[in-house]
Amino acid sequence: MYSEILLDHFRTPRNVGMMRDADAVGESEDPSCGDLARFFLRVMDGKVAEARFQTYGCGPSIAASSLVTELVQGRAVDALAALTPDVIERALGGLPEERRHAATLVADALQAAGARYRERHPGEVSRV
Amino acid sequence: MRRVYLDHNASTPVHPEVVAAMLPYFSEHYGNPSSIHGYGRDARDAVDAARGGIAAFLGVAQEELVFTSGGTESDNLAIKGVAHASGAGHVITSQVEHHAVLRTCQALERAGYAVTYVPVDGDGLVDPDAVRRAIRPDTILISIMYANSEVGTIMPIGEIGRIAAEHGIPFHVDGVQAFGKIPFSVRAQGISLLSCSSHKIYGPKGVGGLYIRKGTKMVSIQHGGEHERRRRAGTENVPSIMGFATAVSLRARDMPGEAVRVGALRDRLWDGLRAKVSEARLNGHPTRRLPATLNISFRGVEAESLILALDLKGIATSAGSACTSGSLEPSYVLTAMGVPAEWALGALRCSLGRSTADEDIDYVLEVLSAAVQRIRAVSPAAVA
Repeated sequence: MYSEILLDHFRTPRNVGMMRDADAVGESEDPSCGDLARFFLRVMDGKVAEARFQTYGCGPSIAASSLVTELVQGRAVDALAALTPDVIERALGGLPEERRHAATLVADALQAAGARYRERHPGEVSRV
Repeated sequence: MRRVYLDHNASTPVHPEVVAAMLPYFSEHYGNPSSIHGYGRDARDAVDAARGGIAAFLGVAQEELVFTSGGTESDNLAIKGVAHASGAGHVITSQVEHHAVLRTCQALERAGYAVTYVPVDGDGLVDPDAVRRAIRPDTILISIMYANSEVGTIMPIGEIGRIAAEHGIPFHVDGVQAFGKIPFSVRAQGISLLSCSSHKIYGPKGVGGLYIRKGTKMVSIQHGGEHERRRRAGTENVPSIMGFATAVSLRARDMPGEAVRVGALRDRLWDGLRAKVSEARLNGHPTRRLPATLNISFRGVEAESLILALDLKGIATSAGSACTSGSLEPSYVLTAMGVPAEWALGALRCSLGRSTADEDIDYVLEVLSAAVQRIRAVSPAAVA
């Protein structure tokens, strides 16, 4: 039912927990199922230096959150939008139809964190 | 890795003696029980003996038992069979019945019948007085389950049966979860129709029974030959019927001792979890409950992630709720019991059985308490 990549992230989630002095925090809640994902980002030179998460939800939501904290490592904040639900789903090794909300939830939470960062740092351009 | 099956309310492994009893009926005694020749007579004798054994276990007459394809068909036959014999009228059932009963009642509503779904209290019990108050002059059937499959609460069947008898209303009981697990008397409790299933009691899937008290007015819902005294058309599933009867005879022998043993294991599991994990709650009646059923919730823990964590450690459990098409809904049973959504979303059902050993409980205690802590650690409610 679930890929080995997904199960690995569920078994041993990476970068768990809150970050006290984060540069940006973003979250998303799925009102239909009560799942909630929250990302904390530390940004240096316009790039994600560290990401952490807290997630309440089904196995895929937890695994997708963990995976995303790795995918964003070193990525420009301005380029986070490239991490769409489809990209996250593929990176997870696929999701069953009835669990695809996990990728959407996590992508939304990440975009929220990116948007929050840009609000607080207007005009900043990432140095690639 | 250790494997522990704690989903016996869903299905059970077929007992080896049951398999042995079935085998000769595939390729040795394969005749059609309706045939006149020797092969047919052999099969007929076998089905008659099986019927006699199960009827004796229930304390009813042989001709009052009809073989079906399982619990769902038995519920459909009982409810539609009685309803269609009247052609119109009012049915009383509860909000926490199995879908086989609920959706059959909903189908009756679409066909013009009226249905009252009586509520349950916080422990999952139907109030017999609520059933009494729901009775109308045109009430044609009362259908209440013996025990709830999700939380295990045992309904006050005897009292409801007395009320039904006082009013001369047929009383159907979905006994699928209770049959062969706890002792009860069909006759003393005023039951007119009782659904039962084989695969919940170590028999094969695809076979069950419906007790129909002599004199109950009903019609057949499946038409064809004159099988089962014209109440259920279709060639009898002889190997499965033999397996079902053997499973019942084994329950008659093992049930009393096993209920005590498994009940003690179940209580040890709950006591251990309560001691190890904070903010845990028991769903269902604390004492009026099936001996092998434990439904529990942990605050802040969503059931799907818990089931997955347990499955990765070889432990099979289930949730009252099922996340389908992206929407996770709290179980309708727990919702009817008034369990808040934050708890109901995390409800986990452990149902033990004859193979459950002492060491299994130790293992589940260790894995489950660790899984709850781990899932809580990644949750937004966690304090870093």
